[in-house]
Amino acid sequence: MKHSLLIAVREWKERVRSGSFLLLSVLGPLVILGLIYLLFAFGGNSKQHWKVLIADPANIMETKILAHPDPNVEYAFADGYIELDEFRDGKRYQEYDALLEVNEKVLSNKLAFVFYRHQPDVRMQTRIQFEYERRLEEIMVKQFTDLSIADFRKIKQPMNVVFRDVYDPHDEASDLRGWVGLVFGALIFAFIFLFGMTILRSVNREKSNRIVEVVLSSVSSRELMLGKLLGIGMAAFIQFMIWVIIITTGLYLMREFVFMDMFDASNLNVQQLAIEASDKSYQESFLAAKEYNRFVELIYERIQFGNMIGFFLLFFVTGYFFYGALFAGLGATMGSESDGQQFVLPLIAVLCFSLYSGYYYMNYPESTMSTVFHYLPFTSPVVVMVKLAQGYAPGHSYEIYLSLITLIVSTFIMLGIASRLYKNGILQFGHRLKLRHLLKWLRNT
Amino acid sequence: MKEIILDIKGISKSFYRKEALNNVSMSVYKGEVFGLLGPNGAGKTTLIRIINRIIRQDEGSVRLGGNLMTDDDVRKIGYLPEERGLYRNMTVYEHLMFLGRLKGLSKSDVNQKIDYWLDYFKINDWRKKRIEELSKGMAQKIQFIATVLHEPGLLILDEPFSGFDPVNVELIKSTLIDMKNQGRTIMLSTHNMKSVEEICDRAALIHNARKVAEGSISELREERKSGIYAVRFRGNMIAFVNALWAGFEIDDKQELGDDRFVVTVKMRNDNTFEDLLRVLLGQVKIEAAWEVLPGMQDVFIDLVQPKNESHEA
Repeated sequence: MKHSLLIAVREWKERVRSGSFLLLSVLGPLVILGLIYLLFAFGGNSKQHWKVLIADPANIMETKILAHPDPNVEYAFADGYIELDEFRDGKRYQEYDALLEVNEKVLSNKLAFVFYRHQPDVRMQTRIQFEYERRLEEIMVKQFTDLSIADFRKIKQPMNVVFRDVYDPHDEASDLRGWVGLVFGALIFAFIFLFGMTILRSVNREKSNRIVEVVLSSVSSRELMLGKLLGIGMAAFIQFMIWVIIITTGLYLMREFVFMDMFDASNLNVQQLAIEASDKSYQESFLAAKEYNRFVELIYERIQFGNMIGFFLLFFVTGYFFYGALFAGLGATMGSESDGQQFVLPLIAVLCFSLYSGYYYMNYPESTMSTVFHYLPFTSPVVVMVKLAQGYAPGHSYEIYLSLITLIVSTFIMLGIASRLYKNGILQFGHRLKLRHLLKWLRNT
Repeated sequence: MKEIILDIKGISKSFYRKEALNNVSMSVYKGEVFGLLGPNGAGKTTLIRIINRIIRQDEGSVRLGGNLMTDDDVRKIGYLPEERGLYRNMTVYEHLMFLGRLKGLSKSDVNQKIDYWLDYFKINDWRKKRIEELSKGMAQKIQFIATVLHEPGLLILDEPFSGFDPVNVELIKSTLIDMKNQGRTIMLSTHNMKSVEEICDRAALIHNARKVAEGSISELREERKSGIYAVRFRGNMIAFVNALWAGFEIDDKQELGDDRFVVTVKMRNDNTFEDLLRVLLGQVKIEAAWEVLPGMQDVFIDLVQPKNESHEA
């Protein structure tokens, strides 16, 4: 074991000193923070203000659209018909972001065009469509029915059909939480794959430059493999911790200094909220606007990060040794450096399959395949993260321990298989790797 | 009686259907330089790997100092493989420290030994150089230092002179002789037969997975002598030829100038060296005469490719 530690320290130093390690340690989490920032910045309350010109030659809308002005959209009515070229190039129209064309037959063909200068985001599109639609509703109700507009709106109320789990009627385990679990699982696999490939290359390099024989004259092949796994694993763990620290600090700083509005009720536009809330049919766009807030709430409030990170680390470490042993064993079987290329595609396939298993679990949590994925060591690190984020049903928390024990036992089996491949393959050079080699080396004790 | 330090008994090893070693036995005595010879693919590297416990034999035993070898005993050996490498990103110091520590030395011991060997080879300024900055010859020296750093009682060197220029070959040879004089045992696998003659006390030759010869260098050469004698003389070459009668045959001749020659002569019938000297006395002025022993190169070829075989080829 002392030898393994010496080898581990050497491996660790080699990784940690390399420029790519430092670059990835800092850039990786910064990219993730950047993506979260973009999600918050552009998914949140838009500060955009649009000026929309309504061309209504038949005066169907009677130059009215909203009872209360919308702080985000300012409407103006044009006299008569406006040519598209004129709107596009005419100086007097340059202040407008879009032209809403109300054709004369709109009440029958239900068609309208909005010509924009810059594409509006989905929320702005929803807003303009919603406000225009409401005004036309008023006109149509007046023209075609005897109902008052209030009565019509009572009838027209949108029907919200909400699907809820009978065991989770308050929707505490939402899909969104499953996604966070999937992201955790993906993170496990990203690290495993990244450092697994490092193991593969490192074993291959030692083999091709023949240092391995010098080292093997001092330590056993098992000690060498274990040392390598430990050393590269320590580097992976340190990089992961750097990621956690940078991302956590970044999220905290964002919360405190950048996105204060999202978390502080006093910063909300109460007047606007009151208007929107009083209007039940505003729900659609209101719900859409809430989507991102659910995400923010999820990130900061609803995920039990303490619990998740604990199991994340356990599955990360065990999963790393499971896959790392496989990578080391395969690395030792290669006849030349180019053999490594052959393994990349199947290993990426395994990775994709593992990630897909997490996605599959989110969609079909009760299926037999999901149960298999939950315990299969190749997929369990992802699936358990998804299930953990969604929450285990009461009385079923033993499943996570069962899955962990299965993974640990499988890891020991994999270490045994890999050390056999390693021992028999590490001193074989120059061959073209074939399946029969692997089978021979597996049989040979 | 000499003490056997390495006793190899009945070693056999097969890689699936290919037989690498078949019942190979040999003994290496303490304080000698032992040559392990054989053509490419004979099984030398397999035997060396078995001694170093890198691979396990199918049959047979290896004893070190009288006891069956264990994993811990490997630390008593310094092994320089034929195809050796270094960690290219490490500095010379880091590399030596790492390998020294793997051999069980303490940090301070390794530091002391590194200082000694860098001084010995006058390469102290390489200490902080990265391995990738070194030339092949420089890297070979570092590999040699890594092999001897822990002062092993037994050194196993596979082609230790390859990659060195003639000056450094001589330096390594003299270092090995110094080590031998200090009581270390050295097992040397090489194709450089001149070096074998110069520094080996004994040797064994493996061919087609079997040991075909073992003994002291002089014994091996003696066993293959073919009754050829050399005579260095001053005088007339015709007189020399005339002096020989049907009992002798000239094998080779070399003119040294100033009527001086060296002629090698084969004995025929039951004639002896004394008979040869007797017929020459008075005919030419003999300066020196000696029995010609085959070189290790000839011994090697003779053992690996017997004469009838070579003629067929």
